[in-house]
Amino acid sequence: MQRRNFVRTLTALLTAPRLLFSQQAKQQFPAAAPLPWYTGLNSRTPLPRTEPAAEVATPELHFFSPLQVQTLSRLADVLMPPLGGKPGAVEAHVPEFLDFLLSTSAQARQNLYTTGLDWLESESQRKFKSPFSKLTDEQAGVLIQPWLRTWMNDHPPAEPHASFLNIAHDEIRTATINSRAWNATPFTGIQQHGAEGLYWSPIEPELAYEPPHVAANPRLPNSMPTYKR
Amino acid sequence: MLIVNPELFDVLIIGSGHAGGMAAKILTESGAKCLMLNAGPVADITRDAQRKRSWDLPYRGFRPPQQVPHVFQADEFNSNVWVDEHEVPYTIPPDAPYNWVRVRLFGGRSLFWSRQSFRLSDYEFKAHSRDGFGEDWPISHADLAPYYSRVEEIFQVSGEPNNLPQMPDGNFIPDPEEWSTSLLRLKAAGQPRNIFVCRQRRANGRDGLASSVNLLLPDAEKTGNLTSIANAVARKITVDKNTGLPNGCEFVDRLTGREMSVQARIVVLAAGTLESTRLLLNSGLANSSGILGHYLCDQIYGAGVSCSVPEARGGKSKGIMGGGAIIPRFRNITDKAPGFLRGYAFNVYSSPGQVGPRNFAAYGAELEKKMQEYYGSGIGFGIMGEVLARYENHVTIDPTVTDAWGIPVLHIEAKYTDNEYNMGKDAVEQASTLAHDAGFEVLSTNPVPNPPGYSIHELGTARMGDNPKTSVLNKWNQSHDHKNLFVVDGASFTSAGWQNPTMTILSLSMRASEHLAEEIKRQNI
Repeated sequence: MQRRNFVRTLTALLTAPRLLFSQQAKQQFPAAAPLPWYTGLNSRTPLPRTEPAAEVATPELHFFSPLQVQTLSRLADVLMPPLGGKPGAVEAHVPEFLDFLLSTSAQARQNLYTTGLDWLESESQRKFKSPFSKLTDEQAGVLIQPWLRTWMNDHPPAEPHASFLNIAHDEIRTATINSRAWNATPFTGIQQHGAEGLYWSPIEPELAYEPPHVAANPRLPNSMPTYKR
Repeated sequence: MLIVNPELFDVLIIGSGHAGGMAAKILTESGAKCLMLNAGPVADITRDAQRKRSWDLPYRGFRPPQQVPHVFQADEFNSNVWVDEHEVPYTIPPDAPYNWVRVRLFGGRSLFWSRQSFRLSDYEFKAHSRDGFGEDWPISHADLAPYYSRVEEIFQVSGEPNNLPQMPDGNFIPDPEEWSTSLLRLKAAGQPRNIFVCRQRRANGRDGLASSVNLLLPDAEKTGNLTSIANAVARKITVDKNTGLPNGCEFVDRLTGREMSVQARIVVLAAGTLESTRLLLNSGLANSSGILGHYLCDQIYGAGVSCSVPEARGGKSKGIMGGGAIIPRFRNITDKAPGFLRGYAFNVYSSPGQVGPRNFAAYGAELEKKMQEYYGSGIGFGIMGEVLARYENHVTIDPTVTDAWGIPVLHIEAKYTDNEYNMGKDAVEQASTLAHDAGFEVLSTNPVPNPPGYSIHELGTARMGDNPKTSVLNKWNQSHDHKNLFVVDGASFTSAGWQNPTMTILSLSMRASEHLAEEIKRQNI
C-alpha cells in the first residue's frame, strides 16, 4: 500500500510540476537538473531490497505465558525436529510465529492451544515430575503418541487432547515447511517445498468507503495537502 | 432530489457472474439496452496479483485469522478475493454455523469455480414424483437440454458419453487424458455393484479460464448494448408507484458511499443465490407466497476416504497414478438406501505426488519415513451429496445488523439432518468397500460433512414452481408477483441435486433470458 501511495503521489506531482518548481525557485534551490528528478524513477531504477521484519528482528511475545512458550517450544521440537539437513520447528521460529498467529485467532482456537499446552504440562508433572520442556524425546512420546490420529479435510479429531495435539502438529509442520529457514536449505529426495502461489493484494483498498459511524471526517480521495490561499 | 434526464435502460442486471453474464449476453444480442451493476471492483491480475512465496508473507501462507473466518477455502494467498466478513457480515444462530463464501469481484465466483460441469437429470427435476419429498421442478431435463448443449459449447465442456440416466450426456469435446491404472482398477471394482466410475466432465473454457468475464461479457460488450458499473452495492429495488412494478434500483457507490439510483423497464437479479434473495427481502418484493428465503439447500462436502495404492509406492507411480474421475449418484437409483433419500456422487483424485501427513498417526522421523514410503500412491474420494430442500432452512433480514453501507444483512438458519449425516456415513462405507475391492489401503476416513454453505453451492430461497402459493418464480425464472422481475441465479432452484450447479444456472439464465427477449419483442412486458 505504501508503494501504491507513493505511485499516486508521484502521479499527482506529475500533474502539478509548475507549482512545485515555483516553490523551489522561491526557496533558491540549486539550478534544476536537465531532466526532472522523477524521470529517473522508472522501471530500470533498482528498488531497495528489504527483508521481512520477523526474519531479522526479535518479535515480542504477546499471547502465550512464558511457561506455555517453553512447553510449545519443546512440543514443536519433538514433533518437527531437524531432519535430513532441514531445520526443525524451533530453528524455523515456529513457536514465535504461532504466538503471533494465535494472538489474533478466534477464541476457540486460542483456548485449544492454551488448554492443550496446560494439559501437557500437568501430565508431564504428574507422570514424570518434570516440566514438559525438560522431558526426553521418549518421555514426550509417552504423552503424545496415544493421542495421534489420522484425519482428513477440515475434520480433526474431536476428543479434546487428540484435537489439540493433531491440530498443533499440523500447524507446526506447515509453519516449518513454509518458513524461510526451511526453504533456504538444500532439498533432497521428496522433501516438501514451502507453499508458493498467486498472491492477491487488497483490490482498491485505500479507496474503501468507511461508513459514517466510523469515519468522523470523510476520507479524501487522495492525500494531496491543501494550503491557505 | 433532482435527477436530470436519467437514462432508462431496457433491462437492469444485478450481478456479473455466470448468471448475470449469460443474461447480459443473450439480452444485449437480442437488441436490449442493458445496465449491469456489480458490487465489487474489476480484478486485474496484472495489477492485483503476483506470485509470492509463503515465507515472504506475514502469516506464512496461513489464513489471516480475522478477515474471513467462515471461508475454509481461504489462505493468505487468496484471502483478499473473498468478501470481507466485517464489511458485509451475516448472522447465524450460535449452534448452527453456516459458511457463506462470497466473491464480489466483477465476474463473481465464475473467476474461481472448480469447473466441474454436470447436467441435472430427471432424478432431480422430478425427484418428488420418485420419493415424495419436496416439490418437482416445473421443468424437466428435456426442457433444458437444448440450452445445456449450447452452454457446453460455449464453455468447452470435456467428457465422455456414459449413457447413464442419472448423469445425462452432453455436448462434449473429447477428453484426451489417458486413464491411469488406479482409475481403471476402480472402474472394474465398481461394475459388479452398479457403481460407475466415469471420466470427469469439466469446462475448459478458453486459455484455461471458464468465466463470465472471458466467455460471456465480451460478447455482450461487442453489441454496444451493455453498460456496466463496478462497485455498485445494490440497496433496494425501486417500484413504480402507479403500476407497482419494479423500475430500477438504488445503490451505494462502494468507494465513496454516494447514493445513486438507476431506472429500467425490467429487472434481472443475478447477484448469487443469497444476495438476490437479500435484495428482494430488503425491497419487500416477490413474496406473496411467504416462502421467499425458504428452502435453502446445497450439497454436503467434506465426507470422504483417503487411500493408498500399494503398487505405486516407492517411486513406482508412473502409469498407475494420476487423473480424476466422477462416480455419479448410485444410491436410490435402482436400490433403496437405508436411512436417507436421494444420493451422492464421489469425486476421485489419483495423485502421483505427496500423500499428506494427516494420513499417518506419526511424527518426526517416523512420519518422514512413512511419507517417503507412501509417496506417489494417494487416491481419494470426496462426497458431493444432495441436501434436501427444507422449509426450515431459511434466511431472513436481521433487523439489528447492517453492512458497511448501512444495508440490513442476512440472518441464515440452516442445519443438516439425519438424511445428510446418514448419507455421509454411507459414503464412507461405500468408498471404503470400493477401495478394498480395488486393492487400495484405506488410510483415513471422515463421515462428517463440513458446515452448510461450504460447497459454495447455496441454492433455493426463491424457488421456481407452477403454483404461486408455493413458489416465488415461474418456470421462466419470472416472479409470480411482478412480471418484469426475473431471478436467474441459483436462488431459483427447487432442489439441489448432487451436481455442481453451474451448468444448470447458466442454462436456466440462457433460457429465461431468451424467453424474456421474446416477451420484450412481443411487447408483453
